[in-house]
Amino acid sequence: MEAIRKEIEKIEQSAERIKMLGQDNPSLRRNAEILLNFVYILKFITLDLKSLS
Amino acid sequence: MKYWNPYLETLPRETICNMELSHFRNILSHAKTHSLLYQQKLKGIEPNDIATLDDIKKLPMTDKEELRKYQEIAPFPYGGTLGTPIENVTTFRQTSGTTGKPVYVPESYESWQWRIEVWCHILYMAGFRPHHRVFLPFGYNVYVAFWEGHYASEKLGCEVIPGGALDTKGRIHKIIEIKANALLNTPTYGLHIAEEAKKMGIDPASFNIERMLCAGEPMPTATRKRLEELYHCHVFDHIGGTEPCAWAGMCEAKEGLHIIEPFFLVEILDRETLQKEVKEGDIGVAVVTPLGRRSFPLIRFNTKDLVVKGKSSCSCGRTSQKIVEVVGRIDDLRKIRGVLFSPKTVEEVIRQQFQEVEEFEIVVERKGLMDVILLRAEVDPQLPLEFIEQTKVRLGESLKIATNLSFIVIMEPPGSLPRYTLKAKRFKDLREETK
Repeated sequence: MEAIRKEIEKIEQSAERIKMLGQDNPSLRRNAEILLNFVYILKFITLDLKSLS
Repeated sequence: MKYWNPYLETLPRETICNMELSHFRNILSHAKTHSLLYQQKLKGIEPNDIATLDDIKKLPMTDKEELRKYQEIAPFPYGGTLGTPIENVTTFRQTSGTTGKPVYVPESYESWQWRIEVWCHILYMAGFRPHHRVFLPFGYNVYVAFWEGHYASEKLGCEVIPGGALDTKGRIHKIIEIKANALLNTPTYGLHIAEEAKKMGIDPASFNIERMLCAGEPMPTATRKRLEELYHCHVFDHIGGTEPCAWAGMCEAKEGLHIIEPFFLVEILDRETLQKEVKEGDIGVAVVTPLGRRSFPLIRFNTKDLVVKGKSSCSCGRTSQKIVEVVGRIDDLRKIRGVLFSPKTVEEVIRQQFQEVEEFEIVVERKGLMDVILLRAEVDPQLPLEFIEQTKVRLGESLKIATNLSFIVIMEPPGSLPRYTLKAKRFKDLREETK
């Protein structure tokens, strides 16, 4: 699961970057936002319990 | 693959509980920051105050009336229940309004997708797979379950056919025309489609439906089995609501419903005190916290659904907590002549023992000082008169045994009683109207 979490982090960083770079392009911005919505779900279903301590 | 999410669905109980605790703190923190309702309601309570799942029981519950009250303020129509800026809302849904003014439910794109992910668990558990062509025989309108079923079927990879804007005959023709092999419907409407098909000279088993998932109403086991006999298919149940989302579903073992953990924290509490968790096998009220839905956060939502608490093991291998069955809603329970009565018991008796009864209605009224219960039952008048008379007597006797109450049974010809596509209203308590 750790390897998966790292990949999710990478998607998140890429999506944030696309959102920033495409801020004047509604299509790019919205598609990046939608990616981030799925990142939220991916993080939810791969919760790292180390954050509990 | 047996599970939609093999990782989450087979976690040890301790890990599931730890995840739920962590998610609970997160949603509590979010609710306190973004929702006026919880800023006011949980003033002075911080996520770090919640060290164990037991600590959660010290927090106040949320009920529908509170949601209605907070929706009277701005921004229209969600008011202080919003958990996100209103410009993030992409989906409007509302409750059916059965118990009063509807509650409006805002979903952001993220929260809607979170709900869809939950529904994927429910459909996958019920055996829905990409080869299924799913027919939904409804216009979904503003009601949530069939929209969720639609989008979750799509996410699973099924082919989805919306069946709104057709009457029942049109839907039957469409099922046959496109060779649908899976259905999502209310149990009542599933029975009605079968009844109509028979009148058209079509055996519903000839549709070749493989899977049916029911939504919208409590479904007694006898009704589920009746649908399985009629369609020769596997029929599954689930439980949920517009506000808390669908939170438990049935697996292939068909032995109760699995709570969709760790998406939901579900407490099953003693119905008198609403404080202690009930023991396995006991009836309690389901209090539900959706743990990742942020646009409409709910902390300890009292669903008023009565359920029987089950085990946290199953022959399917899932480790989630189960409920044995949904008994009904607290709102539907009535004291009649001092006896606690649930309309679901009547449906159970009829579907199990009286297949000649196509539709029914229960009416309670007060005559003088006495409560009287009428059961109006539809049967085919072409059946022998003697058989109809015997059915009437046997119905009265069986209902007396099952409920401890005497019924006046009235046999009605077909078509006398209303048919429902969404929530059936087969129980009328006229005592309330004359108060």
